[in-house]
Amino acid sequence: MNWLMNALSSSVGRKFVMALTGLFLCLFLVIHLAGNLLLYVGPETYGNYAHALHEQKAFLLLSQVLLYSAFLLHIFLAFRLTASNVTARFVSYRKKASKRDDRVVASVVAPEAWMFRSGAIVLLFLIVHLTDFKFEFGWGEVLAGQTPYGKAGVILRDFGRAIIYALGSVALGVHVSHGLASAFQSLGVSHPKYNGCVKWSSVAFGWIVAVGFASFPVIWALTAAPPSQTQPATHAQPASQVQPDAPHTHALPI
Amino acid sequence: MTNPAKKRLSLHLRIWRQSRTDEAGEFRDYQLQDISPDMSFLEMLDILNQQLIEQGEAPVAFDHDCREGICGTCGMMINGQAHGPDHETTTCQLHMRHFNDGDTIIIEPWRARAFPVLRDLIVNRSAFDRIIQAGGYVSIKTGQAPEGNANLIPQQHQEGSLDAAACIGCGACVAACKNASAMLFTAAKVSHFVQLPQGAPERTKRVLAMINQHDEEGFGACTNTSECEAACPAAVSVSHIARLNREYLKAMLTATD
Repeated sequence: MNWLMNALSSSVGRKFVMALTGLFLCLFLVIHLAGNLLLYVGPETYGNYAHALHEQKAFLLLSQVLLYSAFLLHIFLAFRLTASNVTARFVSYRKKASKRDDRVVASVVAPEAWMFRSGAIVLLFLIVHLTDFKFEFGWGEVLAGQTPYGKAGVILRDFGRAIIYALGSVALGVHVSHGLASAFQSLGVSHPKYNGCVKWSSVAFGWIVAVGFASFPVIWALTAAPPSQTQPATHAQPASQVQPDAPHTHALPI
Repeated sequence: MTNPAKKRLSLHLRIWRQSRTDEAGEFRDYQLQDISPDMSFLEMLDILNQQLIEQGEAPVAFDHDCREGICGTCGMMINGQAHGPDHETTTCQLHMRHFNDGDTIIIEPWRARAFPVLRDLIVNRSAFDRIIQAGGYVSIKTGQAPEGNANLIPQQHQEGSLDAAACIGCGACVAACKNASAMLFTAAKVSHFVQLPQGAPERTKRVLAMINQHDEEGFGACTNTSECEAACPAAVSVSHIARLNREYLKAMLTATD
């Protein structure tokens, strides 16, 4: 397999891996968002979906292995590529300006100029997201016995978490708005007939991801009573004061 | 019918000066008066150099040859843009009418680890030569001119190949890319050959060897920002990079050596 490793370790080969893992992660985002949108349907539907998903042990295990592998590979190569790209410039310009006429926003704030930074923000968001929902780290007994819907409610009503989740979702949207179209180009999928469609689909996907995922913390924050009233001292709250079914009473007004 | 002459220009130039590769450089400021808007950018630098020589200062070194926009020798960053503000134009074909009286113009050499500065605005672009040496050729028997219709080539392939062959190797793609990647240059060479029957037999080893050399020279990877395409004076499209990627994928999977 040396030939494969050699080929994939070149600048073009690394971009293949970035593109393939990125497309796989985009597919995951679609499934994840579709599942999360069930939060708007109601606690029962969302709970049924969560239970049905967790009953598929083999599927879940395979998905997690693939997902973690894709994430790790994507992140590892992002660091490697960025390091070699920074080294390649060596000395920066006193002044730099774009010559592209089709730029909607200035090149310094364009998504493609922020891929590493937006990716780094998404990574931090991902760490917080996993520690909250998967490992329930730092929540004490607050999440114990909660339904999936209730758990989402408790976490998203935390003001700090709402900010992190909203910003993380926007960074994710910015990241994929360039990443999706870029993955097609990196894999050599390019044709004048379809390039425009791919480009605008990528931007639309970025908006859908950003607005879709950010809607949960924003709408929860806007519709719920202040965190101090609904969840006093969330992290230090004794288990005896927790109302396991409390979040069920806060169905989203949609 | 001629347009009324634009006012002659007074300019403030801020130019990178560096005497040797291994010495530190710096920006120096110069004033120029009475510059005709019909001058080319290099003619404006000629005027500056004449002024510097008369003052006993070393003239600003810059690459140039044909001054007709076809040789690819000239090239510099002008106000942060490769070959200046005009599109599909080399520095020698950029005219001073694109600037205004009283402008400050910042002039820098191409910046890339693979393009070390030799002096002032001249960089060593032999990394491009080594990429071509690695695979940018076809191995054919020379001799009598072959029969013109021996190899039938569809018109769209001819055009596609010539679009790639338009690359003049000036290095603007590297200069404009935020990663100092030479992917557009390498793609142009690969795409030029692969669309012709003469280039097909060596297509596999060519793309692998050229990308390997590209990476060894220290160029960065492509992030698909299309800045290279916008800066290219020969309008080489990033679709050639997509073709390079397809060629690389095929070569990766099918190469036997």
